[in-house]
Amino acid sequence: MSVLYFSLLLVMAVLAFALARGRASSGARAAAFHSRPNYHGLLAASLVAIPMLVVFVIGAILTKMIAESQALTALDPALLTDPLRRGAALREIVEVANGRFRGNPSITLQAAGDTWAYVQRVARFSIYGLGLAAGIGGLMFALRSITPDLKARNRFEWLVTVLLMICAGIAVLTTIGIVFSVVFETVRFFQKVPPMDFLTGTQWSPQTAIRADQGGSSGAFGVVPLLTGTLLISGIAMLVAGPIGLFAAIYMAEYATPRFRSTAKPVLEILAGIPTVVLGFFAALTVAPLIRGAGEYFGLSVASESALAAGLVMGMMIIPFVSSLSDDVITAVPQSLRDGSLALGGTKSETIRRVILPAALPGIVSAFMLAISRAVGETMIVVMAAGLAANLTFNPLDAVTTFTVQIKTILVGDQEFDTAKTLAAFALGFVLFFFTLTLNVIALAIIRKYREQYD
Amino acid sequence: MKTLRLLGASAIAIMAATSFAQARDQIRIVGSSTVYPFTTAVAEQFGKTGGFKTPIVESTGTGGGMKMFCDGVGVNFPDATNASRRMKIGEFEACQKNGVKDIVEMMIGYDGLTMAFSKKSAPLKLTRAQIFLALARNVPGPDGKLIPNPYKNWNQIDPSLPNRPIEVLGPPPTSGTRDSLHELFLEPGAEQIPVMKALKASDRKAFDAAWKTIREDGVFVEAGENDNVIVQKLDANPNAFGVFGFSFLEENISKIQGVTVDGVEPSHDTISSLKYGPSREMFFYLKKAHVGVVPGLDKFAIEYVSNRAAGDGGYLEKKGLVPVPKDKLAISQANVAAKKVMTGEGLPK
Amino acid sequence: MTELAQTLSPAPVAGVDFASGAARARLKKRYRSEARFKALGLAAVLVTAAFLVLLLADIIRKGAPAFFEHRAQLSITLDPATIDPKGTREISELRSADYQILVRAALIAQFPEASDRRSRRELDRVLSSGAVDDLRSAVIADPSIIGQTRSMPLLLSADADLFMRQKSRLIERRKGAGPLHVEGEGANISIAGGGNVFAVALAEMKTLLAARIRAATAELAGLQAGGTSATVDAKRAELEKDIAALQARAAAATSPETLTDREPSLIVAIGGGLLKITEIGSSEAKAVTLVPPKPGAIITEWSLLKITTPESNRRVSDRVAAWVETLSARGLIENGFAWRFFTNGDSREPELAGIRGALIGSALTLLVTLLLCVPIGVAAAIYLEEFAPKNRLTDILEVNINNLAAVPSIVFGLLGLAVFLNAFDLPRSAPLVGGLVLALLILPTIIIASRAALRAVPPSIKEAALGLGASHQQAVFHHVLPLAMPGIMTGTIIGMAHALGETAPLLMIGMVAFIVDIPQAITEAATVLPVQIFLWSDLPELAFQSRTAAAIIVLLGFLLVMNAAAVILRKMFERRW
Repeated sequence: MSVLYFSLLLVMAVLAFALARGRASSGARAAAFHSRPNYHGLLAASLVAIPMLVVFVIGAILTKMIAESQALTALDPALLTDPLRRGAALREIVEVANGRFRGNPSITLQAAGDTWAYVQRVARFSIYGLGLAAGIGGLMFALRSITPDLKARNRFEWLVTVLLMICAGIAVLTTIGIVFSVVFETVRFFQKVPPMDFLTGTQWSPQTAIRADQGGSSGAFGVVPLLTGTLLISGIAMLVAGPIGLFAAIYMAEYATPRFRSTAKPVLEILAGIPTVVLGFFAALTVAPLIRGAGEYFGLSVASESALAAGLVMGMMIIPFVSSLSDDVITAVPQSLRDGSLALGGTKSETIRRVILPAALPGIVSAFMLAISRAVGETMIVVMAAGLAANLTFNPLDAVTTFTVQIKTILVGDQEFDTAKTLAAFALGFVLFFFTLTLNVIALAIIRKYREQYD
Repeated sequence: MKTLRLLGASAIAIMAATSFAQARDQIRIVGSSTVYPFTTAVAEQFGKTGGFKTPIVESTGTGGGMKMFCDGVGVNFPDATNASRRMKIGEFEACQKNGVKDIVEMMIGYDGLTMAFSKKSAPLKLTRAQIFLALARNVPGPDGKLIPNPYKNWNQIDPSLPNRPIEVLGPPPTSGTRDSLHELFLEPGAEQIPVMKALKASDRKAFDAAWKTIREDGVFVEAGENDNVIVQKLDANPNAFGVFGFSFLEENISKIQGVTVDGVEPSHDTISSLKYGPSREMFFYLKKAHVGVVPGLDKFAIEYVSNRAAGDGGYLEKKGLVPVPKDKLAISQANVAAKKVMTGEGLPK
Repeated sequence: MTELAQTLSPAPVAGVDFASGAARARLKKRYRSEARFKALGLAAVLVTAAFLVLLLADIIRKGAPAFFEHRAQLSITLDPATIDPKGTREISELRSADYQILVRAALIAQFPEASDRRSRRELDRVLSSGAVDDLRSAVIADPSIIGQTRSMPLLLSADADLFMRQKSRLIERRKGAGPLHVEGEGANISIAGGGNVFAVALAEMKTLLAARIRAATAELAGLQAGGTSATVDAKRAELEKDIAALQARAAAATSPETLTDREPSLIVAIGGGLLKITEIGSSEAKAVTLVPPKPGAIITEWSLLKITTPESNRRVSDRVAAWVETLSARGLIENGFAWRFFTNGDSREPELAGIRGALIGSALTLLVTLLLCVPIGVAAAIYLEEFAPKNRLTDILEVNINNLAAVPSIVFGLLGLAVFLNAFDLPRSAPLVGGLVLALLILPTIIIASRAALRAVPPSIKEAALGLGASHQQAVFHHVLPLAMPGIMTGTIIGMAHALGETAPLLMIGMVAFIVDIPQAITEAATVLPVQIFLWSDLPELAFQSRTAAAIIVLLGFLLVMNAAAVILRKMFERRW
């Protein structure tokens, strides 16, 4: 039905476009029109399409409501208030109406199905009728209002601008949505657990008993072990990605031949495009056993989900990130600084170390900050390769856990919104959001300031 | 034209959003991760042979599943739940309170609760008393009073045990296995200790608190619902023990072995004959109110307890289920056929 | 001015001799450090490349086997009495019939001795339950084949399949020397050789004792340290006795050894049959029949198979292994491409699990994302770049979008859970919700890319249009936007590739359930490819590991295609101004 309606709508709109365009371009006074004929056409098409669309949306919603209530009343009025039976009854009614019911429907069910079909039929005719009327009305109005003075272009452009603004607004709504959904639940969490306990507690054991008669953990919600765990893994990642990414960027920006660049760049891009679930699989099944084996060889005891494995692979993940951002800031250093240093007899590496890097330092720092924020928020690698044990340790061979791992563990399969445990996930999410946001704002501010320096 | 396209797209989105709540024609099951492999196997079979959609099974733990199951009647709530232990009276009451009045109960098989560890280590025999001493938060000290658990190595509990750190990966409270750990290992274990037995007689409350509380000093690690992860960890760490169902032990027999408990090794025969102490029954609960609402729910239940599935030599046995004796299975089958509703009598606390 | 001139002019370098040895050494050192620095840079790039190669090689090595499967070509009788006893040929009857009986019968035809209850149960482990499914769908597709006997390829179970793959590594085969005399049948077989035919095998078994002695000794040593008590003493005595017994056995080089399931299995292959040795001496052995040999076969030709992994440590028993081995020897097992990996939904049986459901789920999810994201994202970018008044509000908006791009993806999952599932009550696990969440996730990416593309169009173009009397919108939509289109599309494709690989937020909205059916609509429960990978990676069966890697290969394949499309677009349409 909707396909047909939309085809009709399309036909009407095209018709309106053609008629209005024709009217605005024909006759002796064509040159006197304020707007080009196309704009008259577009405006007329909008005037046809928008009312028809409104009719459709309202009509569809009304139809659904009326058809369901009528059919259910025909079957059994009690169903209207019984949400469980309602769904099943509606499915059967629709099946009967469409002739897909298996077996023989009862008389009342058949009647209900017929009612449903009847309402649908009536509604369809009404929607088509009303829609057509609205379309024709819009068309008449549009055609009648076509005069040389009509500022059709301005009106149409106003419509487009409104549309564009709505779209841009959605981006804002998203942020507000995130902040609200997370903040709301976080506040509820802090009603159950005092914020100071949360921020300074050194024990994390959220698995409280779910029944009064059960043995569970005491329910400690101290975020410190998670923070240290997150920082440990991100730290390892940065130890890997920082130097490698920076050196790669320097080499690519300053030394590499164009041919080398054109092969090495895609390699980095491919690495950046590998989904983190793949890296997590690799970390858990290949890197972690390797590290464990190596540790045993040297007589060290390595946890099977050591922070080292997750950190190493995460470091590999953010290398492209660091290198492409650093590459940008290094190339942005004005050529004159390079030339000056080289002219004074500095070697290339001296130029880089003494001139370019100091000049690019703010940019590099912000690149690192962005990389850290990426590492802190990364989920899949740590979910698959790091552990759940909230150990307060800085030993990279131990198992630690992170914010993201805990959020995932708490929320998967659990949909209760009134326990401290579930709400804790939102509080963690909030901390994570806040942390990455702060890093980001600072980093972007630095970059902006730095750009201005050379512009 | 862009205007039209955009509006069209959003209209479709609105339509999709308003028409979802209508009907669900697919069974949704939640609950125990121990029963999960069996339910998924039945679900697959059912989807292939029954002419209905394949049910969706989510592994949430027995307790978590019970909670979702008992939250209410309606398409937004699961139709059935798996349980690696019987429904508790408290859960039954919660169900009643939320309008989930008619529940059909089916016993589907046995499972032994095992403590398992890597095959790289030598076989080990433990008594449940030793397990209690290793895991409880408070244990009787030298003077018989309860003190915080001092044991860090197995041989501190009993010199004949190996000199290795105690390291146990266990389930969180959402899991039915956690309840079983308390009821099948720790409670009987506590009773094996004379001091504790005396305590039970004198101060029941203190006794219960003792076996219901597990230590939180890092010796016992809650390893999450996913038993598979535990297997991988055990394989990597020869000192660590995992607590899970026998079916998992059997599935991973190439990597791990079970602790012999009170002199009995966990095996198919010892569990089905109830010789192996920590044996438990597994259950499947469904809402009678959903039968006829969600198509195929009753047929699914019939398939689950049919002889070819849960019976001796049925396809669930291949998945590691220890089948119940014929007469007991017949009771389940009769319950399902008659859709007999639970009365709540005789449920454990 | 003079000061500047002074600072710029080189300081007088009187007394410095650039040709001196010290200066040369200094220069040399500087050049060395230059070379070192450059090498470090190159090394950084190479390390990254090496990691990528290692990652891809590891995944391909792990995943390749999952694209192939073993099938047993068996002749199967489609007995009407089993399939359709009522003779109605109704689909529902045909669907619920017990095809397992037929499949079992086909195997029993190969191994007639395995018809007792216990053996039947073990026989079921040779073939996958997928064999039953294939048979069922064949019958339903064409009921006229009922009653015929036909040869059909039946899928091996995952364990048997793994055994076939690892056979060459698992089994050591040694040609037997000299004639053997086999007597008895069933579980009571005695084998006698003309000479010390089993001496080598026996010696190998004896060496295994040494390891057990070592382990027991170590345990004993551990006990000594533990102090004394009654239990310790008892245990010590027991251990000492064990060690003494083991040592005696090891010392007696020719005494027979009993084999249990904790030792490697020894199997005599003789006359087309397989006999499993339970007790081995140097010239004789006791054995049980796994597959009975043909009577009257030449008994000088035999070989000794050793399955190195003890029976208790593997999923496939000696008997099942023997059957599979025999089927293979009879030329009935074939290896073929596993199409079902692409045509099946998820399954708990690794050999049946496929990615079709996940692929369709991904496609539906991405469709929702695309429909929402591209129009909104591009429109927002155009507004912000071209029409937005420069004021505080739009400034905030801009910062906002940049920061949104860096919000961890899991936080978007929280948003989906709290807003779409909890507040709007949308269905769990549905591609609709997944698509919404992913759309919000990549919206900033698309906006930023589109804005960059719009900004890259030189202002002169717009100015020229404006100068000729075009309105602002005309200039943008007629001139700037078409030129920015390749850039926008590239950005969109990269954003979609990102969405395709995203996992974490989808875990929050319940897309992690076990879902077998292929989703048909955006409101049905579904999972997506990355989540499927995550789910499989957690499963303990070895066969699932290769399935996981195979699914990763498919995912990476899609990503490669998308990225290549983006690169080609960029190359084809990109203009440098």
